[in-house]
Amino acid sequence: MEVTIADLSLDLVEKICVVVLFAYIVTRTKYFTQVLGRQLDVKNRFFLVLVFGGFSIYGTYSGVELPSGAIANIRDLGPMIAGLVGGPVVGLAAGLIGGIHRYFLGGFTAVPCALATVIAGLAGGVINRWRKGDLVGIPGAMVFAFLMESFHMGLALLIARPFSEALAVVKLVSVPMILANTIGMAIFALVLTNLIKERRTAAERDGYRRELERRAYEMEIAGGIQQSFLPESPPRIEGVELAALNLPAKEVGGDFYDFIPVSQQKWGLVIADVSGKGIPAALFMALSRAVVRANAVGNPTASQAIRRANDLIVEDDKVNMFVTLFYSVLDPAGKTLTYVNAGHNPPLMLRQDGHAIALLEAKGIALGVMPDIGLEEREISLRKGDIVVLYTDGVTEAINSSEEQFGKERLTSIVEKNSNLTASGLVERIQQEVAEFSQGQPQFDDLTLMILKVA
Amino acid sequence: MEISEKSVENVDIISISGRLDAYAANDLERKLDSLITAGHVCLVVDLSRLEYISSSGLRVLLGSMKRVKKEQGDIRLTCLRPSVKEVFDMAGFTQLFRTFGNEEEAVNSFTRA
Repeated sequence: MEVTIADLSLDLVEKICVVVLFAYIVTRTKYFTQVLGRQLDVKNRFFLVLVFGGFSIYGTYSGVELPSGAIANIRDLGPMIAGLVGGPVVGLAAGLIGGIHRYFLGGFTAVPCALATVIAGLAGGVINRWRKGDLVGIPGAMVFAFLMESFHMGLALLIARPFSEALAVVKLVSVPMILANTIGMAIFALVLTNLIKERRTAAERDGYRRELERRAYEMEIAGGIQQSFLPESPPRIEGVELAALNLPAKEVGGDFYDFIPVSQQKWGLVIADVSGKGIPAALFMALSRAVVRANAVGNPTASQAIRRANDLIVEDDKVNMFVTLFYSVLDPAGKTLTYVNAGHNPPLMLRQDGHAIALLEAKGIALGVMPDIGLEEREISLRKGDIVVLYTDGVTEAINSSEEQFGKERLTSIVEKNSNLTASGLVERIQQEVAEFSQGQPQFDDLTLMILKVA
Repeated sequence: MEISEKSVENVDIISISGRLDAYAANDLERKLDSLITAGHVCLVVDLSRLEYISSSGLRVLLGSMKRVKKEQGDIRLTCLRPSVKEVFDMAGFTQLFRTFGNEEEAVNSFTRA
């Protein structure tokens, strides 16, 4: 049967499909992964030699025998790859396996063919060394395979005798062999390049994920530290019930409350809301809380304590943050509450004698806005059963799924209806009502609440 | 939120519409920063179409105010809706910002000063 170049080419291309599968499987083995990670120990080298030497033998058998006895094949491909990936020793060893095997199959081209296979492995290894272990790209690998096979053909012409027969064989097999080996090499390089890209993407993704996890962890810790800035429990004060709650919308928040011993008998009560959100707000909260506390301790004059705190905050504030704050000094013995309002939502005051709810307003401005602020100080007397509700806008601006706000009216009516509850009971009730209202809708603002009830 | 601007003589008028929340505040901050950096320090902010302002919005106005004051400029507000005015009043910011009933009055307060 006449064998044409077209037949040979088609046949060899079919073999290429096997190369694809081989490349895919081999590159995903544990050993090959380690080789790509530059881990070329004896075990991995041995693996490469065996696999690519074996692949070389497969190349010989899968070749198409010509009537003259010459075989058009991809025997050189395995050793070339072994050399490119594993270096000269690995390439040479794989080439020897394929070459010696070919030598013993005999035929008048046995010597040049065997020699070419050995040289193919060695040449791949030399390229590997020259590139200091880096893989050549797809075009480089293809050029290498093309030149190597051309050299193979030249070797056959040079060594095989009679020359006329050698020439006939080379004429027939040169195009399919050069083509098949170049394409085979291209496929292998492509599979390998994709694999390396995949790995890199996966490594980057893992890196990002770790970074995210680390940040989430840090935020959690920061949230814990911030919560530790809030009082663990309200002070026990004769004749007065106190309760408070702080629910940050995110891991860290900008709201805070505080109970500060300002003198032997008097307590400073603080509720505050820092502008903005997230870490900036949390940092500013920590600063504001410390400054307010430091200026309030031992200072029973509300306006003076907060004016001093403001001057310090303004001095430190290069980032235009501000904090709205309601500060009051409770005198349990004299049953009075002296307060200043630095731009905060006025607390609600419910008198037990049935008067309408009053708002604890006073002229003032948020802290951190400007130095030397004027703060109006007011005093109210407290009577048995009176309730004062201090809150931040996270309570009244809690939204439900229809984006409606909880609102001051709802808060007011809850307080009025539940005035028989204790301070902590009332805090719990308001928290419940807000949760019921918002129905798990994600909230944007921290929710802070403090309730004082005169027993 | 949308921001538009025009100028009358040496006064720049910035109109803000919609909701000035934490995200929109960043846009406004960039806008005001670029104006102030370019030397425009007499600003009128028209709030007639502003529906909501968050504390982040107030923060941006406060920051810009501090910058223009250093350059002998000012930021004046016009046409605050009651809900927005309540926020400014509550935080005490109406002590810091002069407010006007309409744009013309605000512009005149600069040009005829």
